Amino acid sequence: MTGEPVRNTPNRRDVLRMTGLAGLGLGLAACGRGFGGGDDEPAGGAVQLNMVWWGDAKRAEKTQAALDIFQRKHEGITVKIEYQDSGPYKDKLATRFAAGDPPDVMAMRMDSLREYADRGTLLDLGQHSGAVDLSGLSESARTLAAVGDKTYGVPAGLNAIGFVVNRTLTEKYGVSIPDGDTWSWADLASFARQVTQASGRKVYGTNFEAFTLANFIVFTRQHGEDFYTADGALGVSESTVVEWFEMVEAMRAEGGFPPAGFIEKVGASAEQSYLAKGSIASQIIPTNNFLAYNAAAGGNLALLRIPGETQAVRRGQSVDCPHLWSVAAATKHRDEALALLDFLANDVEASKATGTTRGVPANTSVAQEIKPSLEKDDQVATEYLAGLQKEKLPRSYTYPPGSSKIASSLESIAAEVEFKRQTPQQAAKTFLDTGRKALGK
Amino acid sequence: MTTTTRVTLPAGASAPPAPPPRRVKPRKDRAGYLFLLPWFIGMLFTVIPFFASLYLAFTDYNLLNAPQWIGLGNFREMLDDPLLRQSLKVTFIYTFVSVPLSLVVALGVAMLLNRGVRGLPIYRAVFYLPSLLGGSVAVVLLWRYIFGLDGVVNAFLGWFGIDGPAWTSDPDYALTTLIVLHIWTFGSPMVIFLAGLRQIPAMYYEAAAVDGASKWHQFRSITLPLLSPIIFFNLIQSLISSFQTFTQGFVLSSGTGGPADSTMFYNLYLYQQGFSQFNMGYASAMAWMLLVIIAAFTALNFLAAKYWVFYDN
Repeated sequence: MTGEPVRNTPNRRDVLRMTGLAGLGLGLAACGRGFGGGDDEPAGGAVQLNMVWWGDAKRAEKTQAALDIFQRKHEGITVKIEYQDSGPYKDKLATRFAAGDPPDVMAMRMDSLREYADRGTLLDLGQHSGAVDLSGLSESARTLAAVGDKTYGVPAGLNAIGFVVNRTLTEKYGVSIPDGDTWSWADLASFARQVTQASGRKVYGTNFEAFTLANFIVFTRQHGEDFYTADGALGVSESTVVEWFEMVEAMRAEGGFPPAGFIEKVGASAEQSYLAKGSIASQIIPTNNFLAYNAAAGGNLALLRIPGETQAVRRGQSVDCPHLWSVAAATKHRDEALALLDFLANDVEASKATGTTRGVPANTSVAQEIKPSLEKDDQVATEYLAGLQKEKLPRSYTYPPGSSKIASSLESIAAEVEFKRQTPQQAAKTFLDTGRKALGK
Repeated sequence: MTTTTRVTLPAGASAPPAPPPRRVKPRKDRAGYLFLLPWFIGMLFTVIPFFASLYLAFTDYNLLNAPQWIGLGNFREMLDDPLLRQSLKVTFIYTFVSVPLSLVVALGVAMLLNRGVRGLPIYRAVFYLPSLLGGSVAVVLLWRYIFGLDGVVNAFLGWFGIDGPAWTSDPDYALTTLIVLHIWTFGSPMVIFLAGLRQIPAMYYEAAAVDGASKWHQFRSITLPLLSPIIFFNLIQSLISSFQTFTQGFVLSSGTGGPADSTMFYNLYLYQQGFSQFNMGYASAMAWMLLVIIAAFTALNFLAAKYWVFYDN
């Protein structure tokens, strides 16, 4: 500093000006992100399909292997893939449609299907049955993408939810695993309690996500109710919601379930799961992830059905799919896109290349044919699915528009109950009120 | 920054001497506009969405079909939206707790550094670093581990026999964790404070010391008044940016605003409405509401400024 009295504190107008400029800067920074997609069509009459989906690098590798076969079989068609995590995928897909630049072929979430289909943005495959052969699919697989008399996609694979139990831990603590086909929710509770006790609270017996809609839907179906009815309303009763939360909280109180706040959102992958860390002994997973979870948890997982199936009013489990393959109604390459769909659904080579990363092939004969070439863990999951498909399971209806709001409200309300900020009764009421408002009925 | 460029001016320099008269007046402004050109082009990307969102705010727009004009429908719906109220509550608590605290910390550290510490640039850089990183995804992730159930913070509390809570997964603590993160990013107001402090002539303090004023008195009567424009600037800046908080809540909760909507910032809810629930019209209306809220608080601040901000010119 010089000794001279330099007057340099800013005056009022400077502050105003700086505030304004900085504010603009913020505004501009917010717009700084670009969107993907964009036309870089190859020259010379060749067709480039844009195909988007979510998943990891491993799934990308398997998908690319299948696409390589497709490109060999179809000269002049190239497929450009884009993939990312499921959360951002959902947002990006919506943005691409909004921008008028939808992908030709896309992975469609079951709970977003009708958001898109009801607004006429997806191609009705029923109109093009000559191009995509759906005759090899089982009835339950075909109806997954059916909205009214239209079909808006092909299941990318079939899966269900299953209960996995870490046998290494149960053997270590000398707890026997109940029969996985006939166990009840009470059996699960007592099993979980025993594991926690025997391990001295080092391992908690179970932690199935009470806030995940798919899990709760099985419980609802076991009570003879459809979570979503055929006309897209909420069919679940308040008492069933109460019972679900009370059951989980009872397990938490007696120690079978970890204490509130124990499970932190650290990431969605199998490697990051508490099952892989060995701090819980069992949980519910989608069956197509069985291989990944088994690898992450030490290779000794048993795959059980969801508890309560034999005691319930009716079966709760259902055959679902991780996602559909759908075609944008606005695609410029309809025939090529349909050819790709047909290839993915019905070509044995395609399914051999992808394995069961998106579940068991929806085409039953393809599923049988590729089974011997699968890894052992994938065979376990395939048999699990085949078992379910042979049985008579009540049909489930597509998620109506507004159901993403319901899924997120279940998540937030489950936390309210977990931390005792709401009783199961209050929570059930809030959940149903929010749900009805979201569906508008 | 304006403050640093002005320091080079000689004392008492008012307007520069008028240039000698010439026959042809050169078009000096042309170069200026040329340099501004990138900014004007950038402005297009702001102005067009700006007006588009104003229009969309009065429509029902689901991203997939053409928007339908519904007048004030979105705004009426906002009156009866419990989650919107929750998001306002979260945002207001966050702003009104973390902004004053981070400014106090920033000023405190700036004053410590201003006492002629050796290696000042290094300290300044070290303290500034968090504010570059604080909004980044990596740091929020790191924060999640530090505040995890078995994280550093609980290990530390454990030494004193305190059983720490689940800082990030307990709805009663998740927002607190984010407030602490915000306070930690005091670097950018600190750097501005530091620049401001260095502008205050040492002779004021010397004169005060001769008159026997205590350090506290000097702070109250010299530092605070002369620094008040800077404090004001920092206050406005921090308020505006903290009303717009998004990343921290998004990353900590993996986009859900959880646990139990306790980190549901206004902007996060806006994003969910727009991109997850296909209510882009409603999201646009929310964006304009936020603009009104921020403008109102900024205006309030400028009104209040008359009573406490001191401009010495």
